[in-house]
Amino acid sequence: MAPPHIPREIITVGFGTEIIYSFVIILCSLIIYFGTKEIYELSSYKGIKYFRQAFLFFAIAYFFRSFIKFISVYFNNNQIFEISPRLFGPLTMFIFIYFSSMAIFYLLYSVMWKKWKGSSKQIYLFHLLAFIISIITILSRNILVYLGINIFLLLLVVFTVSLAYNSSEYKRKGHNIYAVYVLLLVFWIINIFDILVPNFLDNIKLVIYLASCTVFLMIFYKVVKKTGPN
Amino acid sequence: MVKRGKIDIIKDILITIRDNNNHIKPTPLLRKSNISSERFSTYLQELLTKHFIKEISDYKNEKFISLTDKGFRFIEKYQTIIDFIQEFEL
Repeated sequence: MAPPHIPREIITVGFGTEIIYSFVIILCSLIIYFGTKEIYELSSYKGIKYFRQAFLFFAIAYFFRSFIKFISVYFNNNQIFEISPRLFGPLTMFIFIYFSSMAIFYLLYSVMWKKWKGSSKQIYLFHLLAFIISIITILSRNILVYLGINIFLLLLVVFTVSLAYNSSEYKRKGHNIYAVYVLLLVFWIINIFDILVPNFLDNIKLVIYLASCTVFLMIFYKVVKKTGPN
Repeated sequence: MVKRGKIDIIKDILITIRDNNNHIKPTPLLRKSNISSERFSTYLQELLTKHFIKEISDYKNEKFISLTDKGFRFIEKYQTIIDFIQEFEL
């Protein structure tokens, strides 16, 4: 079925917004990654390592997200699988899903590694899990499967993070980093809906983008405040 | 007494060296570090490998330990590292 005709001005304005949105998030993520390089090199602290990796993977995932958006607009088609069903479509989706899943796993692991005894082998398990999630999505070609997996992951992360919060050493009034992490994941899931479900929440897309940018900018601000200009 | 983490032990060793005019023999450093000799050897080796400290010998061929620029930088950045870990619950 041919996609509905979209006025050119809306596509242009929408795609311009997409570019700015992706640029802000990729830039924030990369500044977080490179801004924490020195404190990681000095301390070799695993928590900092996984935190940095999470934002590197977020940057890569958002890059592929905007790439898929660009392809969709260029070919005037909502589904990348329909544009190239054999190689290009599945490969792009595989990279996008793999890196986005790993970003979530790294962020989760950065706060949980001490409680999980800190064995670095566990991270290979997460790579395997991200690989399996990507393969299942590519083979099933059913976005509902992928959305289901992601909602399950979100619930798992919220449950784990709430456990971590309750036993936090640094739990104190006004310290809301766990809430920021959960918001980051909620907006990531909304981003996945946005890329997989045609015309998803079109009316409030700008609000979602602004809220999503705000979460990244909050983390960015906290990182810059703590690490300083160097 | 709160158990010291690895980063705290490294900071304590480096500060001990710095406060001793940046040169100290291994034995008094071990005593002041307040850790077992086995763990001290492991930490010393790690600090040498990471170039936080260097071994120097005087004219009597006695061995001393001294901080490198990277060691001084660690001391400078220690509080930032701790604050960062606490802020992000890492």
